[in-house]
Amino acid sequence: MNAISKDILQFLKSRGFLDGKSSLDEHESLTETGVIDSIGLLQLVDYLESSYKIEIPMEIITPDNFDTLAGISQSVMNLKK
Amino acid sequence: MAMDTIVCKKCALDSETPGITINADTGLCQFCEHYTPLSPQKKEEFKAQMDALFASIPKHGKYDAIMALSGGVDSSYALYRLKKEYPHLRVLAVQFDNGFISDTAFKNAQKFCELTKSTYFRLVLDNNLLRDTFKKAASSKDAYPGFAKYRASDMCNTCMSIIKQKLVEMAIHTKTPFLVFAFSPGQTEVPFVTLTKPFMIWIRKLFDAQLKTMGVAERDLYLMDQEAIAASPPDTEVIIIHPFLVWEYDKHQFKEDIIRMGWTEPDLQDPNSSNCLLNAYAIKNHFDKYHIHSYAYDQSALVRQGNIKREEALKTLHTKFSETAMKDVERRLNAQNK
Repeated sequence: MNAISKDILQFLKSRGFLDGKSSLDEHESLTETGVIDSIGLLQLVDYLESSYKIEIPMEIITPDNFDTLAGISQSVMNLKK
Repeated sequence: MAMDTIVCKKCALDSETPGITINADTGLCQFCEHYTPLSPQKKEEFKAQMDALFASIPKHGKYDAIMALSGGVDSSYALYRLKKEYPHLRVLAVQFDNGFISDTAFKNAQKFCELTKSTYFRLVLDNNLLRDTFKKAASSKDAYPGFAKYRASDMCNTCMSIIKQKLVEMAIHTKTPFLVFAFSPGQTEVPFVTLTKPFMIWIRKLFDAQLKTMGVAERDLYLMDQEAIAASPPDTEVIIIHPFLVWEYDKHQFKEDIIRMGWTEPDLQDPNSSNCLLNAYAIKNHFDKYHIHSYAYDQSALVRQGNIKREEALKTLHTKFSETAMKDVERRLNAQNK
């Protein structure tokens, strides 16, 4: 798991989306496993924008890009370039 | 509350609530430990952003903004304030009749629409189906993600999701660019949300799955119109605005102001709602299922932000509900329209 995925996982734990002991596979769906919903996604986007000093265009927030730790961290890396 | 329950020193969350840990050294819950207040500079940025949005409205339809108006304190005040600060806005105020709205709330909503020269619309869905859906939400477990259980009860999450879906649908149909929701700063953290077409499709799919988990068969009634989304241009956008993340939030002051303007307080015996009869029942149902008071997170966030006092939040969260009111809601939930 890369540093961004670990950071997202830490955010999800610290904000109560996941309990402290739970873990997640990088490719597991965050919505289908019931970790997050649309409002949670927006909180995560807000966190990523301020932490990584990026602007996440809403059009990239789709299940393909934003439903797994791997997808989100890849999107963040692409936007940081 | 058990004798060994530890309440966070700063807010109202306690160690009895699943998922809440109180640090033995600091006496703070994990939310207070990670809390960073919004800087005045950030607030100014939000205000400038809201001013800019309302200054350049694309005039495609009959309305500039659709507002979710419950007739309670927050939304009545928000409508008044919105029109006071942006008098040019053409507002369609939508009150969702979930079958449990108090008569006083209906009167309040209409009064505030007259006062602000806004268009009033009462959104009505099939009452029998709605009651059945609320009963399914009450008897279901884990239809919503973990964190949603802190945000609202399963019944209220269902009701609010229906409102959001139908209001987005109305915004698409009427070509209205903005949706305004009077959520408290304890209920949401994001002041502006741009809903793009792919995101609308996704949130529709998510709510559909949640309804399915609850066992709701007639789901299309509650979801935004799939055909309308499909037929809309690819660059369709609806911007959701939460003005209480921009303005100061002082519920006592709001109430004083709106009472002066003719708002009437309903007799609901519920410290958490000034419009919906179902709310207290939904809180109790949620607490019985998960041992989570569905207003604990909201109230605690308001304490953390300095919007209310800790004692006030604790008092609100420990108010006992009237057994008669609970039985009345149960009777109404089980009633069938002829």
